[in-house]
Amino acid sequence: MRRVRGPVFPLLRHPLAPLSRTGRVVVCVLFALWAFAITVAWSPAFADDAQAAPPEGPYFHVAGDPSVDRLPLKSTRVDARIAGVIADVTVTQHYRNEGQRPIEARYVFPGSTRAAVHAMQVRLAGRVLDAKIEEKQRARIRHDAARREGKTSALLEQERPNVFQMNVANILPGDDIQVELHYTELVAPTEGRYEFVFPTVVGPRYHRPSTAGGSSSFPATPHLKEGEASPSGFEMTVRFASPLPVGELRSPSHGIEVSAEGTPQAEVTVNDSVRNNRDFILQYRLAGERTATGLTLFKGEAADGSGENFFLAVVEPPKAIAPAQISPREYVFVVDISGSMHGYPLDTAKVLLRNLIGHLRPTDTFNVMLFSGSSQMLNPTPVAATRANIDRAIATIDQQRGGGSTEIVPALKRIAALPKAGDVSRSVIVVTDGYVTVENEVFQLVRRNLGNSNVFAFGIGTSVNRHLIEGIARAGQGEPFIVTKPEMAAAQAERLRKMIDAPVLTQLKARFDGLEVYDVEPAALSGLPDVLGGRPVLLYGKWRGQARGQLVLEGQAATGTHTDVVPVRAPDADAVALRHLWARSRIQQLSDQEALEGGSGQREAITALGLHYSLLTQYTSFIAIDQVVRTAEAAETVNQPLPLPQDVSNNAVGGEVGAAVPSTPEPAAWLSLLVVLGLVGAALSRRGVW
Amino acid sequence: MQLTTSMWTRPRALFVGPAGTSPVLACRPSYLSPAAWLALQAAALWPHGAWMARRVQDGSDEPLGLAAVAALLLLLAARAHTLRVSPHTGWLAAGAALTVAANAALWMAPPLACATLAAFALACALMAWLPARGPRAPLAALVVLALPLIASLQYYGGFPLRVVTAQLSAWALQFAGFAAERSGTAMLVEGRLVVVDAPCSGVQMAWMAWFCACVVAALTVRRDGEFLRRLPAVGALVLLGNVLRNTVLVALESRPQGLDASVHEAIGLAALAGVCAAVIVVMKGVRHERLA
Repeated sequence: MRRVRGPVFPLLRHPLAPLSRTGRVVVCVLFALWAFAITVAWSPAFADDAQAAPPEGPYFHVAGDPSVDRLPLKSTRVDARIAGVIADVTVTQHYRNEGQRPIEARYVFPGSTRAAVHAMQVRLAGRVLDAKIEEKQRARIRHDAARREGKTSALLEQERPNVFQMNVANILPGDDIQVELHYTELVAPTEGRYEFVFPTVVGPRYHRPSTAGGSSSFPATPHLKEGEASPSGFEMTVRFASPLPVGELRSPSHGIEVSAEGTPQAEVTVNDSVRNNRDFILQYRLAGERTATGLTLFKGEAADGSGENFFLAVVEPPKAIAPAQISPREYVFVVDISGSMHGYPLDTAKVLLRNLIGHLRPTDTFNVMLFSGSSQMLNPTPVAATRANIDRAIATIDQQRGGGSTEIVPALKRIAALPKAGDVSRSVIVVTDGYVTVENEVFQLVRRNLGNSNVFAFGIGTSVNRHLIEGIARAGQGEPFIVTKPEMAAAQAERLRKMIDAPVLTQLKARFDGLEVYDVEPAALSGLPDVLGGRPVLLYGKWRGQARGQLVLEGQAATGTHTDVVPVRAPDADAVALRHLWARSRIQQLSDQEALEGGSGQREAITALGLHYSLLTQYTSFIAIDQVVRTAEAAETVNQPLPLPQDVSNNAVGGEVGAAVPSTPEPAAWLSLLVVLGLVGAALSRRGVW
Repeated sequence: MQLTTSMWTRPRALFVGPAGTSPVLACRPSYLSPAAWLALQAAALWPHGAWMARRVQDGSDEPLGLAAVAALLLLLAARAHTLRVSPHTGWLAAGAALTVAANAALWMAPPLACATLAAFALACALMAWLPARGPRAPLAALVVLALPLIASLQYYGGFPLRVVTAQLSAWALQFAGFAAERSGTAMLVEGRLVVVDAPCSGVQMAWMAWFCACVVAALTVRRDGEFLRRLPAVGALVLLGNVLRNTVLVALESRPQGLDASVHEAIGLAALAGVCAAVIVVMKGVRHERLA
């Protein structure tokens, strides 16, 4: 073949000459550079921010552009009126824009787990806008449209039964807007003592990224750093309108000022300097150890469109009597040691566990699981509650410092998979602050997989996620407990012991003689849940016909068959709140069923109830739109920052998803370098290189 | 009789070589010494040096590059007397071109890419001044190791390394009778989750092993080829050592009581020492022969 030579460059020769050694190196280097360039070009490091997913989970607040008022919520005022076992609460949020640009304020705030939010009003420039209840998606679309059109709009959505989100769009510079929301809740007595709770802050919820958009979706919440006080004010007043004198008023959470104590018109105001970083808890008794219990009837007027009559039965159980013989039990303690438990909450949990584990009987067996990002069992199988085993467990718990995420679902799955002896009763005791977003998954897991155990939940901290704690107890046929400080631990541990040793009423049945009832909650009157503690039996429902007859409750107590007969009283015209309480109870029952089934199978039923009874639910929202177009400038969305709950550390927000999952990091760089230099020096000096 | 000397030993007498060899120790142009030349080139690359200094100061990377710089300066000082009288023109031209390219790239490329070009530029300058008969590649490689590489290597190469490490560890544990499986870069061992996260990837071990290889090769091997041929073995040793380290740690971490931090550290150092000892053996495979 004739060689064709290129005129200038050897690469133009045909055929190509074999590459020299240098040429081969150059080709290799070029390939390597090309691979590097491709890698860099497709690297996520160059991703556009616009493609980034919106934030998930809690994060720390950043001040940002000074022309935008990032703290539009100036104050919250709460007026509670308690009459008998029903509390009517009005919450007034006061927004003012002190910046130079229009804003949309977004504020995530807590509510009571039993709250039936039934009305909302917006006061703007002397006008009062009544909010309407609408299907959630439709309300969201209308709100977004109003915001784009420059109208002021307020949208209230439910994120959880105890967490709500308020969006107020187009607050113009200088605007002063007040949003009032009204809710009703039942304040039932436990062992003769009443407790009214008003949560003031949502704790930072650990959000697992992989669950984004699912049933566990939760708004990202900005938080102030540990020790930073909330910039917005908080006022709280509780007024009583009780049939009996109110006494022994005290608050374990706040400093309070009480007037007219010992009268039916007692009044309480909060006078603490820092007020809105923890649950407000007010405890009281009625005179003479009596309780406002019994059967209350409300007769609906045809004029209000409902024509429905409602009843509420609150029946106190008998006193618990310890049985002569107590059968041995197996206890499994599931303890949250995540970042949000770091510090005071974990210290409180340690005191509680010392009380719980330290008082087990020698015939009992127990095991302890510690969980955060991962979980570990203290023993492969439950061990006898001997002094040595108890001391070892307490010593291990005492070593924990708290850190990392809160993977509660895998931890409970592991508990569900534990083998169980058929003849031993097991009690699972979950100790956590509940700062997660996977409540429904937890309830489903407890109901489906821990059916052979009683599950008790202890909420630890000053601002516990009570929805999770109460839901776990409800799904696990146990009881919820809240421990806000170490001094309460011993009493709550003692309460649990009594409850497990001596259930108050079992095989509980109810019947109405002479009163026609329907739509009763709970529906199965012949198989009511066991009464474990001093909590009353609650029955909600509707009635028709004549208001007469009696309610008969029968159950097995330690002393034999126990019967309670509650006569029907004349309807109370003021008990209009029973409409909302019944609907709230039915919605809760449907939501529990939905959580068990997964998906949104009860959406239609819950939406219908929400729209008919004007209640805020997971599928219905309140919306109020001002019809005046007030601005053409696009509003900047501002997320109102929340203070960290009292005694919760920055570790709860840190985002160290896997911090407490064990890993295998390499040793410290400087130590490694010392080892390498030492080895090199030793090897070379032996070979006489220097 | 012929006087001989090591390239690392300062000669006490003038070199008298066989006929035809270049006079290594003959007088150099006095107007610019090689050290001054290299210093000038380094000064021309000052934006990259300033960026590296910032990376060291702001804690965004491990300051291991300082160790590479120190080792390079020590080795150069020890070989100062062997530097060429006149630099190799081709390497010098390449160094100059890369210097221009590195500085021009500041307007269009990420800082690490620019600094890498700058490191290549300096490496070329070293190649120009170092005698052809001694090992030059290890010194040039030390220039590259002086870059703040760890964080970037973790970012671009950490994930595949972690996957490979986790999978090999899972197999090793299964072979040892553990219930182990890999899921992404996490491992489930005896029901306990253990993650192989970024600090477990072995990137730091790789840097240490390469550093060790460069220093040992610079002091022992005769030619660059010997050094370059042994580099793949260093990579294999690092992977093996990291898998072994990870396997032992995962097995111990999966116990209910976990593992004490000091024991964890000690196991990591022992694995590193084992890998570096093997690297030294590999690099010293060809015994250093004194210049004849």
